[in-house]
Amino acid sequence: MATEAKPAAKEDLKVDLFEDDDEFEEFEIDQEWDDKEGKEALQQWEDDWDDDDVNDDFSLQLRKELESKSEKSS
Amino acid sequence: MAAFLSLAESQRRIAGYLNRFADAIARQDGATLRPLLAVSSAASLLPLADALSNFSDSSRLVSQSDHIAQFAEILLPLLRSIQSHHLGRFAEAYSSYEKAANAFLQEFRNWETPWAMETVQTIALEIRLLAEKGDRELASSGKSPEKLKGAGSFLMKVFGALAGKGPKRVGALYITCQLFKIYFKLGTVHLCRSVIRSIETARIFDFEEFPVKDKVTYMYYTGRLEVFNENFLAADQKLTYSLARSDPLNMSNMRMILKYLIPVKLSIGILPKMSLLKKYNLMEYSGVIDALKTGDVRLLRQALQEHEEQFLRSGVYLVLEKLELVVYQRLVKKIYIIQKQKDPDKAHQIKLDTIIKALKWLGIDMDYDEGECIVTMLIYKNLVKGYFAHKSKVCVLSKSDPFPKLSGKPVMAS
Repeated sequence: MATEAKPAAKEDLKVDLFEDDDEFEEFEIDQEWDDKEGKEALQQWEDDWDDDDVNDDFSLQLRKELESKSEKSS
Repeated sequence: MAAFLSLAESQRRIAGYLNRFADAIARQDGATLRPLLAVSSAASLLPLADALSNFSDSSRLVSQSDHIAQFAEILLPLLRSIQSHHLGRFAEAYSSYEKAANAFLQEFRNWETPWAMETVQTIALEIRLLAEKGDRELASSGKSPEKLKGAGSFLMKVFGALAGKGPKRVGALYITCQLFKIYFKLGTVHLCRSVIRSIETARIFDFEEFPVKDKVTYMYYTGRLEVFNENFLAADQKLTYSLARSDPLNMSNMRMILKYLIPVKLSIGILPKMSLLKKYNLMEYSGVIDALKTGDVRLLRQALQEHEEQFLRSGVYLVLEKLELVVYQRLVKKIYIIQKQKDPDKAHQIKLDTIIKALKWLGIDMDYDEGECIVTMLIYKNLVKGYFAHKSKVCVLSKSDPFPKLSGKPVMAS
């Protein structure tokens, strides 16, 4: 019984997921645009964020915490 | 309005419409024909709808001349649909429209050239919109909404009429996109598979030959499917294709693509710049991104909790939740760098105590077993290179590249 009930529950979840607030906008039937233009959004990404810098606020606090011998913490 | 309309004027309007319809087909004039079938969106059909309410015997006008009567199977239900729609009876309007659409498709199959392609596409759009209206009406009166499902079946027939060899194939992707919209709404996305296969395995037609508006829509939906299946590399490729070719001025579509592309990129270790989030109003991701950058596990959990409903609705919650391991990696790396600055010789040994202490500082209470489990998982997923010494409760890091970067690849599946 339990195994039978599971897929149904999963299906329900899917229906909810796909209620679809994100329906792609319709275009005019003959709508065209210059598809060479939309490059700006492609350039605003970084893959070199995982650096060795530990001077940000979080790291400074982490260092302080690790160097404190006491057991108490927030 | 209808009350002030004379019978003669009503009859004139209906006859005018019927003649325009038959003439457009005779002349193969798609531009004239198309709006005549746009039941729910063409304002030009309003005077006709008024006339139909005023004049009950339009079927007599249809049968009056052969020129028109040959299309009776399209025209009679079409007129009924226009009238029902005008009266706000959407389920009825849908049913009549489906009959007209089937009859039209029958004719279209026999035409050798694709001159009526745009009309067929209008029909595809209209039938979906009518079905949605019809289903809302049925649901609100406690009946079971089934029109949209019916529209899906009809569009599969249209797809079948276009997808073969020949000049009509260029219209197949538009129909596919309408089907996607239906399946995504109904939650029956598994039905996308067969149309996708038909589009992607066809050797007879190059995908690039489809119109750009259909290509970006197709890639958006198939990209979303890949997100749900957690095929992040395929999702990245498809959503990036859609983003690159979308109209950058269409902020709403750009935003929708990014809404799915961002979690995909995060999963392969690529972060969007803050300017991108701001421009497209996607600030809900900023906490997750900060958590990845800092290693702040608590911040990740807070960010997920704060936007939980939103992330669940779009279906990216599980994708984002899995980033927790990457945030742990970042945290352990930070601990490592801090240790190294203090004592380079011992830095490659990280005590489990230290990790647990850092987590406790973040408000996350973990015992040794749980902590060990996290570290083991990091090693297993190749986010940390090294081994865990169970007895001494120390994570011993590899001397070379102890924290491999994802650099465009997803975290190993378990």
